Amino acid sequence: MQSSVGKWGAMALRTKSVFLLGCFAAVAWPAASGFAQQAATDAPFKVVVVKGLQGVKDNTKGTLIVGDGSMHFAHEAVKKDLAANSIEDVVTGDDSQRVIRGTVGTLSWFAPYGAGRFLSLFRTKLDTVTIKYLDADGGLHGAILAMPVGQAEVIKKDLLAQGARTTVTAEDLAKAPAAGAKEKQ
Amino acid sequence: MVMMVSGVGAFAQDKPKPVKIKASAIQVDMIHSDEIKLPAEFQVSLYEDLIEQLQKKGGFAHVYREGDRNATSAGELVILKSNVTGFKEGSQRKREVTTVAGETSIKIHCVFSDKDGKTLLEADVTGKVRFFGGNLRATYDFAKATTKIARENFSATT
Repeated sequence: MQSSVGKWGAMALRTKSVFLLGCFAAVAWPAASGFAQQAATDAPFKVVVVKGLQGVKDNTKGTLIVGDGSMHFAHEAVKKDLAANSIEDVVTGDDSQRVIRGTVGTLSWFAPYGAGRFLSLFRTKLDTVTIKYLDADGGLHGAILAMPVGQAEVIKKDLLAQGARTTVTAEDLAKAPAAGAKEKQ
Repeated sequence: MVMMVSGVGAFAQDKPKPVKIKASAIQVDMIHSDEIKLPAEFQVSLYEDLIEQLQKKGGFAHVYREGDRNATSAGELVILKSNVTGFKEGSQRKREVTTVAGETSIKIHCVFSDKDGKTLLEADVTGKVRFFGGNLRATYDFAKATTKIARENFSATT
């Protein structure tokens, strides 16, 4: 009798264990697959091509996607694909720009009592990514991209993961913190 | 009246015309800064602005980039090498607020040579931005000045 109870108890425990394992798998699998999907789906970055990207006008705003071994820039009908392994160098930097720009910004210079100058004090910080890449004929090109703060290092990391090269590594940046801390407006 | 016109003609003839070096193509090498620490965005901006200006106003039939395989077969090719000798990164904010402070300037030594490496022309060029515009505008100023030097000294037809 005792052995029968023990047998039933062990079976119940085993059933519970299998049930719990199933629950865990049911919860963990979608989460894991979701993460995998997130890693595979390349999040677009909002960037401005300051200059140098072949076939793209200077100061064009658009989206940048890094994935499938290339860097893809798109702005309406303008599309540019650049193989990551053609990128010889990726360097990040920082800059700033006037908060009030464009026509209103230009007109503000004519405002009385030096209001235009006063508005120049208000600036937003930017990150920049500078790349050097080779075209089909082996010609060297350079391009400068600007983006919101905090995205440059992510883009650089993504490009390096896709096969781009760099002359400035994370260790180099860590060694020279003073250079990066200088004021630049 | 005839005398006056002929006199003007003679005066115009007296002015010596600079002898231009024959060159139908130019290859622009990436800007180097051996001694000066130059930010990457300035280096790339100098290079791209220089190529753009030479294509627009240089008067060359072809403008090649560094490493372009087509340049090797080009006849009468001039190679432009540039080295940064001075750099002062100013501040756009200071320029806009004070007008007198925050100038950005870049000094570059340019060497034009032929395919064999023989120096044809050397020049020191400065790019500046004093009042309006971002710091990178200094690179445009340099590109314009260098293109002017190239146009004045080289020609596809002598």
